Amino acid sequence: MFYALGSYLFQLSETFSFFRLVNYISFRCVMAALTSVILMFLFSRPFVYYMHRRCFLDQVRETGVRSAFDKSGTPTMGGVLVIGAVLASMAMWGNWRNPFLLYSLAGMLWFGMIGFIDDYSKVKRKSGDNGMSERSKLVLQGVFSVAFAWGCVGPYSPVGQELATQLFVPFYKHPVVNLGPYLYGVLIFSAVIVITNAVNITDGLDGLAITPSVFVVVVLGVFAYVEGNRIYSAYLYYPYLRGAGELTIFGAAFVGAGVGFLWYNAYPAQIFMGDTGSLAIGGTMAVVSVLLKQEMLFPLLGGLFLMEAATSQIQDKIGVRWLGRRIFYRAPFHHNLQHKGIAETKVVIRLWIIAGILALLSLATLKIR
Amino acid sequence: MSVKIIIAVLFLVLFLVAIGTYAARRWRRLASGEPRILLTGGGTGGHVNPALAIAEGIKSREPDARFLYVGVKGKAEAVIVRRAGYKLLFVSSEGFPGVRISFAFARFLLRLSVGIVQSIGILLTFSPRWVVATGGYVSAPIICAGLLLRLLRIAPVKLFLHEQNSVPGQLNAFLGRWVDRVMLTFPQTQSHFPRNGVVVGYPVRHSIQLKPRDEALGSISFPIPEGRKVVFAFGGSQGARTINRAVVDALPTLLPHRDKIFIIHGMGLSGYADYNAAEDTERRLRAVLTSDELAVVGELYHRQDYFHNIEDIYSVSDLIVCRSGAGSLNEICRMGKPSLLIPKANLPGDHQVMNARAMKIAGAAEMLFEDVTVEDGQVLEKVDGSVLAERILLLLGDQERLKSIAENSRRFLRKKSNERILSELYGDKNYNNGVGSATTPLPPLMGNQRLLSALTAAYNKSPRSYNPLTTVCDENDLNYYRHRAAGLLSHDGWQDRNIGVKLVGFTQYREKIPALLHMLSDQTPDAWIRRFFGGDFKQVGFIRRNIVYSLRVLDQFNSDVERHLLMALDDPYFEVRTEACRTVAHFGKYCAGKDAWMQGLLRRLEDGSFETAVEAARALGEVGVDGKAFSALLNLRENFYWQVRDAGLYGIKRLLERHVIAPSPDLLSQVSTFVLTSTDFRPHFSIKETYQTIERYCRERLTAETHCAPLRSADQDALPSK
Repeated sequence: MFYALGSYLFQLSETFSFFRLVNYISFRCVMAALTSVILMFLFSRPFVYYMHRRCFLDQVRETGVRSAFDKSGTPTMGGVLVIGAVLASMAMWGNWRNPFLLYSLAGMLWFGMIGFIDDYSKVKRKSGDNGMSERSKLVLQGVFSVAFAWGCVGPYSPVGQELATQLFVPFYKHPVVNLGPYLYGVLIFSAVIVITNAVNITDGLDGLAITPSVFVVVVLGVFAYVEGNRIYSAYLYYPYLRGAGELTIFGAAFVGAGVGFLWYNAYPAQIFMGDTGSLAIGGTMAVVSVLLKQEMLFPLLGGLFLMEAATSQIQDKIGVRWLGRRIFYRAPFHHNLQHKGIAETKVVIRLWIIAGILALLSLATLKIR
Repeated sequence: MSVKIIIAVLFLVLFLVAIGTYAARRWRRLASGEPRILLTGGGTGGHVNPALAIAEGIKSREPDARFLYVGVKGKAEAVIVRRAGYKLLFVSSEGFPGVRISFAFARFLLRLSVGIVQSIGILLTFSPRWVVATGGYVSAPIICAGLLLRLLRIAPVKLFLHEQNSVPGQLNAFLGRWVDRVMLTFPQTQSHFPRNGVVVGYPVRHSIQLKPRDEALGSISFPIPEGRKVVFAFGGSQGARTINRAVVDALPTLLPHRDKIFIIHGMGLSGYADYNAAEDTERRLRAVLTSDELAVVGELYHRQDYFHNIEDIYSVSDLIVCRSGAGSLNEICRMGKPSLLIPKANLPGDHQVMNARAMKIAGAAEMLFEDVTVEDGQVLEKVDGSVLAERILLLLGDQERLKSIAENSRRFLRKKSNERILSELYGDKNYNNGVGSATTPLPPLMGNQRLLSALTAAYNKSPRSYNPLTTVCDENDLNYYRHRAAGLLSHDGWQDRNIGVKLVGFTQYREKIPALLHMLSDQTPDAWIRRFFGGDFKQVGFIRRNIVYSLRVLDQFNSDVERHLLMALDDPYFEVRTEACRTVAHFGKYCAGKDAWMQGLLRRLEDGSFETAVEAARALGEVGVDGKAFSALLNLRENFYWQVRDAGLYGIKRLLERHVIAPSPDLLSQVSTFVLTSTDFRPHFSIKETYQTIERYCRERLTAETHCAPLRSADQDALPSK
């Protein structure tokens, strides 16, 4: 809104030259972040009370971890707030015609919707185990992933035809291989599915999912700024992606909303993001990293999420269902740490530190190539 | 090119339309002629005999009716239907393996489609007025083909389905939605077919009728000596291994009574590689009886694979030993004979047990559960031969009881089901419902999962005073649950065995401890692919862990248990070791002071898994009798895990409480060297606790009644709501 208004005004007349500011990504970044964080502060508390009144409270799931303290009864679906804040902020400060932005918003909304349905059915059926079935979740995620993969390798690719199917890996300047549309499509598909579900699994302790996500989005935002800038991208040997800078603003809005959410989600949490939040965040990160051609960086950048997902899947699918034994004490990884006698707060902070280190390492790949 | 294809397709369509029109006109022409009825259903005698009974009924109304029977090759119908004199054709079909992408499912689809094509051919040539299907997967292709032809307006055929069991088969449940009528045996099945289901009962063949004993004796192909009590034992048309083996095993006990009784044994037609009834029985006979006994066994024992005139055998019998499938029960009730039922456990909906239980409660039968034993390293369902022999002798000796059972069984079932079915087929308005005493509703049995969670909750509430009867409320039911649990122990899937192990523990089936111990020490390696990913033995880690846990619930300690627990203490899977330590702590007073336990627990203190070390330290507090235990526990003071240090302190506390060590300032200074910092703590939400107190007060009022109350006072008013 402000972007469109500003650019219109300063083109209109010299008097409004002040509005040239909206052309600067840095300015819009700050404003987007501030907007979303303020929105979070304004709306979180009424939202929490509203959820309590409607009895939209989290239903506890059997995890096998000792629960001396009962967490059921905390309002869930905080993801709605995060999505709302980002949307509102982008509505003010975003360039709505930018394909990068539209793809990312579509990803966030679609996955947020899946999560919302899941959360809603869990609350309605009064059981943490009776949400949407795993299969129908996967089908809905798959629908988006296929569409998105086609959008990325097909004729409407925002990164351009010649770049669309090139595979970049971290620590190497040039594209390693041209995978061709089909193989690359499969890669995108699996990246989106894996990343979204990984974030969903990670979201198990107060503040565990949101802070590492903020780290990841900050790093991706820096990449977006570099790749969207002709000079920096040439200097650092990145492909120049016209318009990718818009993702920096999107990232900033997201960081603002994430920090605002952490304010209430920090231990002991007053609100959970629910599947609405975790799937939306996962979808956002997946879409953004694919758009920036950094999907191969994610195993390093979001290593924490992937490890959580891997431990959970190995334990459940291989161990408990197939072999009839436990492979880890508990899964996912954060429950294992808890089981080993580390308090929740300590687990969360330690995993933040790990996520921070991974984010710094990933940032280093900007130059170390 | 494409023009050619279009022309070819056009011709094909025209050709099919022409055939269809011709078939439709032919069908309608034939419909005005003699009545034609297609029968299908089979696999076991329980599906075939109702079809034949229905055919008999139709014949009595329309003597000129023509019948065609469609079955699957090599099953019961091939023998029974030919003999009954109906024309028999075969189609291809297979049991429904469940919707899962698998080889079995692909093969099922292929066989079913082939079967449907064959069925279309059969239907078009025979052009029946009705199709009467009695279930079993055989009828699926015919029903599909009939529905298809009807949809294409070729066949004005009416489709009827008869369901014998209280829980419909998956194919019947699916296809039943579209047929004209689903005729049911049990009222509770109605809920599966709300639109077109109708309860009619089980059709019994006309020929199944009580004959005078002398007449029946005359038409039996083998001699039965005068003055004997006759026992007829059989396991359905296909035979049941459990019953066949039990009968043979019972013979040595029955031999001394050979001047008073005579056993007729129907072995069944089953002739597959995994179980060949006749061969297996023969082998069993040679194994169980000595050669002297074999020479005289013919005096009281006759065996045959199948009896075509089963009514003669029924008529001369004084007691019948059999499975409690719907078919056998209906025949027995029609004959009004006393029976000893051995229900097959773990069938869908437990229908055999439900049947037998209903009969037993009405005093219309006696019941004996099959058991599970270890035989040649294999866990098998079995009925102990001597137990069976004793029950037979006991029943035969009590004429009064036999008479009352016979009388009750005659009154038990829905009568006139044949007439009822005919009135459904012909659309009569008036019919005799003939309700029997079996329709009185009974409390349902719990499924394994529900039973398990109910018992687990009860146990966790108060392990010390746990008694499964307070949850199950009925001795007979508990007995059945025990047998069903034991039956699970021999299943192929480890998940089933695992539930079985837990249930044997929670139902406190102490007789099965040897079987559990055998499974615990069974080190048959698993498939290599599973071992590659971390599996070990066929009795997987969870099973072994739960066996050790169940031993604790069973709460019985003897030298066998002790030996196996000591082995479990060194199991390759950490949870087994952990659970073993817990169980040792539970049996602490038996283990205290024994060196083997001391050594074992000291080894476990060094375990790679901290969980095990924790439990070992706690157990050491229960088992230790001297300073050795104390110094070992003291050594845990700088352990990496605070839980281990905590457990070490707990062990020392227990040693103090058991007066193994005496409190002293010196002791305190030693214990004070423990590292007391820890990485965990327990948060405390005051507001939630206050709320929970209020909540508890309110709930206590609501659930003041005991667990069993709703069962006993089902018709009383529910508790007053707030």
